[in-house]
Amino acid sequence: MADARAEGSILIVDDEVASPIVSAVRRRLEADGWRTVAVEPEGGWRSGDEFEAAALYAIEEAKPDGVLLDVRFGDARDDLFKGLDILRKIVTAHPTLPVLMFTQYAQGPDRETAVRSTLRWDAPVDFIDKLASPEEVVLRLRRLIGTAPEVIRMGGRITLNVSAKTVTVTGKSVEVSGPSGPAALADIHGMRFEILRELAVAWYKSPGRLVPFSALERYSEGEDARASLRVRVREIKDVLGKALGEHLGAGDLIINVRDQGYRLMPKE
Amino acid sequence: MLRRWLASGRLRVAAAALAAAGTLSAALAPLLGEAVSESLWGIEPMAYAGGVALIAGLGLLTASYAARGMPAGGPAASGEGQAPERWSEITQRYFEVFHHDLGRPLSRIVGKERELRAALQERSGEIDPAVADLLDEIERQAPNFRLMMSNLQALIQLEGGPTTVREDAVEPAEVVRRIVERYHGVAVEAGKQITWWSEPAEFGIVYSDGSAIEHIVTNLIDNAVRFAAGEVEVKLTRNPTHFFVRVWDDGLGIPAQYVAHLFDRGWTPEAARRDEKVSSGLGLFIAQTLAARQRGGLTVESVTVPDPDHHTGFLLSLPLGRSTGAPPA
Ligand SMILES: Nc1ncnc2c1ncn2[C@@H]1O[C@H](COP(=O)(O)OP(=O)(O)OP(=O)(O)O)[C@@H](O)[C@H]1O
Ligand SMILES: [Mg+2]
Repeated sequence: MADARAEGSILIVDDEVASPIVSAVRRRLEADGWRTVAVEPEGGWRSGDEFEAAALYAIEEAKPDGVLLDVRFGDARDDLFKGLDILRKIVTAHPTLPVLMFTQYAQGPDRETAVRSTLRWDAPVDFIDKLASPEEVVLRLRRLIGTAPEVIRMGGRITLNVSAKTVTVTGKSVEVSGPSGPAALADIHGMRFEILRELAVAWYKSPGRLVPFSALERYSEGEDARASLRVRVREIKDVLGKALGEHLGAGDLIINVRDQGYRLMPKE
Repeated sequence: MLRRWLASGRLRVAAAALAAAGTLSAALAPLLGEAVSESLWGIEPMAYAGGVALIAGLGLLTASYAARGMPAGGPAASGEGQAPERWSEITQRYFEVFHHDLGRPLSRIVGKERELRAALQERSGEIDPAVADLLDEIERQAPNFRLMMSNLQALIQLEGGPTTVREDAVEPAEVVRRIVERYHGVAVEAGKQITWWSEPAEFGIVYSDGSAIEHIVTNLIDNAVRFAAGEVEVKLTRNPTHFFVRVWDDGLGIPAQYVAHLFDRGWTPEAARRDEKVSSGLGLFIAQTLAARQRGGLTVESVTVPDPDHHTGFLLSLPLGRSTGAPPA
């Protein structure tokens, strides 16, 4: 099982066969590198209880890293209780398993608070409305699941491996390709790697998040920490730019935001 | 006297029961009527009686609600204060029942649009840019719609009269993060960037009203993304008594003569110029009202073109709550 989980998998529990909103999210999750497993009433579960049993069984089987639950609650009273029942059973049986639940739009925060109050206070459960973009759902799941992955892909071509402490660039530039795929960029190591890692993890968790100077200054030295940081960032950009075969200017990839800190801004 | 009687709650219950009984007997007429009399004619008296009961019941119900809404001085007296309250009460009840249905048609539309996009992509690999533009336009309306719906809800709650200051444990950084995530795609699509951060980085909790913070900041970010030239910044800070959310954009700025009206209900520059209105002008009114309710404030500071430093910054300040304030995490 360990290898299957290495990439991370999400179980999708959906009571409507292939609801378009969920299919779009599913495609987006797969593009993000997650494996998805679905519990769908394809043969048509005869009862809500059967559906619930199938969902719980699938959790035991697939051992997912997170669950995306789309069981309508809000139309009819029965549905309302079914969705909540399933949620509650999952939380009881797997108290640490992150669950993101779709809600119909505008059930509102009060409703969520009410639902949450019926669960364990520390249950990793979150709600998201159906009008959310697939992008938003993916971000929320990442946040809920919590850990940053071992491998972070920044835009199309740059990949950072956290534990191997390597950065690779794929694509045109020939000299960086080794025999077994792209070789790691030897010039990004030590403090340079740490700076890039900080930026990559912050970006992965919340694409708009700035990393303030205060969080980066430990990766610089000398009297003027900011100046030393500026030099390091410049060096990182030069190395990456060379590998990418393009010039990275002030507004590319790593940007300095109004003297507050740095932010990663990869191109798709 | 008559009015008093009409307005009584018991009458309304009775009227509703009468209407319900009428509906029931009209509906069951074909069944019951046959049991009462062998011939087909047995149906009609039942159905008629049921119909009459239904109409009478509904009539009484309406009269009763109307009487309750009337000011003591009778229908001729001015209804100031009373009438709007009645209206909002009805609206509020309507929304309690139906608000979760309002988003459904749109989530269907958006769902189908995403399906269509995927189907097109599967079939031909690349989507024709013109078609993609049209699909993007549909997608772009989703956040607008979400904001409109939540503003409507907030407005109705505000009309419902004063409520107590809420002091739930809230993580403001989490609220900001979610809103930025929601607008990130919209901004990138428009060639703009949203950046957010908090000081301290681990911001911790405050005791406040999470949904009010969300309403306010969503409105500010929605405006900022719309009016920015290229950059939107959202910064979360705190002092020993308050926390602050500053939403900044590098747009053209707001002319001084407009600033005074900015927080008025329904005000937009188009309205002021008597042009066609393109938005509702409710966002900032709601935002400021909500902030005041939480014993906080919302202020604006703007530098307009031609100053090269043109920008607009809104500052939301709210108390940390639980009187002493929450210690930072
Ligand atoms: N960041 C900003 N930069 C420039 N003008 C702004 C900014 N924020 C608000 N305004 C001006 O203030 C007006 C009122 O804003 P408000 O949010 O109250 O309403 P709206 O955005 O027009 O409509 P709604 O928010 O109800 O959809 C806007 O129409 C706009 O002209
Ligand atoms: Mg607005």
